[in-house]
Amino acid sequence: MFLAHILQAHPEALPLNPIARWEWVFPIVESIHICGFTLLVGSIVILDLRLLGICLRSQPISRIAKELSPWIWAGIALQLITGPYLFSGDPREYVQIAAFRNKMLFFALALIFHFTVIGVATRPSADSAPLGWRRPAALVSLGLWFCVLLAGLWIGNL
Amino acid sequence: MSFMRFCEWLSETQVSHYLREAPYPFPVLIIIHIITIAVFGGMVVMGNLRVLGRALRSVPVSQVIGQFRPWKWTAFGILLVSGTLLAASDPMEYRSNIMFWISNALLLVAGANALIFRFGAYRRVGEWDNAAEAPPAARRWAGLSLFLWIVLIFAGRAIAFF
Repeated sequence: MFLAHILQAHPEALPLNPIARWEWVFPIVESIHICGFTLLVGSIVILDLRLLGICLRSQPISRIAKELSPWIWAGIALQLITGPYLFSGDPREYVQIAAFRNKMLFFALALIFHFTVIGVATRPSADSAPLGWRRPAALVSLGLWFCVLLAGLWIGNL
Repeated sequence: MSFMRFCEWLSETQVSHYLREAPYPFPVLIIIHIITIAVFGGMVVMGNLRVLGRALRSVPVSQVIGQFRPWKWTAFGILLVSGTLLAASDPMEYRSNIMFWISNALLLVAGANALIFRFGAYRRVGEWDNAAEAPPAARRWAGLSLFLWIVLIFAGRAIAFF
């Protein structure tokens, strides 16, 4: 919203933005955005499958979480660069699209859930404990990220 | 029947008309296609990064590649079906779309690359299963694989642009 205000305050700057100026910039940045969510969601899915006890069961959860974490961060960084840039092409339009607002909401919720609940679930001290509540937590995480993808992809269909 | 005739015939079938003209099938198929890429593409990426010694270094290579294999095949099946249906929605359009053919060619090259790795360098994985990084030959295939899948995402997205 804050970014939309800045960009709306300078409508004369919009035609200078490469994404509004050349039609091929959008699909290229969007392709990077797709690579970014493949990295981000793909790594989180692997971690969630481990928390569900489906994949890599012989490995301690905390170690899987630690070794995936740089790639999760790399994915987040890519999305925080490409996402706002895609948005900057037509901010006034995007803020009015319900799918866009839902996506931002789910993205915030998914990130908060990942760094709080999943963070606790992957602590080394819990490694030898039974999976217990961590299974449903992993399902909630999977559900939230699925909603982010669904709402995000729906933006393009409107 | 020539390929041109086949495309003409296909685009006149009921399925093709439905996929092209009803409001929901096309976007729903695209969404299934891309969500499958996001959810399972990560397993391809992590498998390659493991061989390159850049991710999950403490997990044996054969576990990262072997345990994700059924998931990757499932995903590949979903992508194949949804991709074929997307192509069947408008064969006359796609047959003249250069990016459609580039994407398919890339898919074949990436598939061949995966097979060469699987039945080449990967056969002796027991010797470097626990090593932080694989031998240079295996690393080259993994790097090439990563590169090909990334280019395929760009080419696939570009189909809609051309």
